[in-house]
Amino acid sequence: MRYACLVYLVESEMAAMSESEAQACTEESLAYDEALRRSGQLVVAQALAPVETATTIRVRHGTLTTTDGPFAETKEQLDGFLVIEARDLNEAIQAASRIPLARRGSIEVRPIKELRPAARRIT
Amino acid sequence: MKFLFLIYHDEKVLDDMPPKEMQSLVDSALEYDDEIRRSGHYIASNALQRARTARTIRVRGGKVTVTDGPFAETKEQLGGFFLVDARDMDEACALAARFPPGRIGVIEVRPVQELQHS
Repeated sequence: MRYACLVYLVESEMAAMSESEAQACTEESLAYDEALRRSGQLVVAQALAPVETATTIRVRHGTLTTTDGPFAETKEQLDGFLVIEARDLNEAIQAASRIPLARRGSIEVRPIKELRPAARRIT
Repeated sequence: MKFLFLIYHDEKVLDDMPPKEMQSLVDSALEYDDEIRRSGHYIASNALQRARTARTIRVRGGKVTVTDGPFAETKEQLGGFFLVDARDMDEACALAARFPPGRIGVIEVRPVQELQHS
């Protein structure tokens, strides 16, 4: 089964890190992505630009409205995500707890919903 | 440039939808998915199970804490995402605006950040 791991962090704390601390954090994250890739568990991993770069869009009755900023104003902000392959929720939680940023923020683990019938699935 | 579309919707609205209407919504989402694969914008996409199926994990001082439910309690819930390739924010927003289920939800469009080794 596939699980999404959503990484939430306090952006201001991350921004306050020294350059060497931030680089060490990046290296650690890249190393864990690589470990998951080698073990065949990684589907995709992606870090995101800060929430201030987001645009939120709504379409109602054919009219598009855009607003600056993220959809949800939260104490911690979505900083990146991984999609992993795991046998079950427990294995997914174990893999998520080893994400280096789990020590600084929160990781939401959520099962993926397959919308395509298995026969028509494209990876 | 890569962009992430975060699709938020009110799960209650979806739960109350007649099955036929729900199926046509899913079909329209899959058609969109096929369309942006053909146009070369597509990188990855996934729908998520309901927010109540989530667990939230924190590790502090070597101790793992797991709580039930999503990280953020919001009026609308994250239901899925697309990772796409677009020229700029304008093209990304135009592309996101065409996602049919966006008409009953909200889409956050966010540029990605490429992590690089020093």
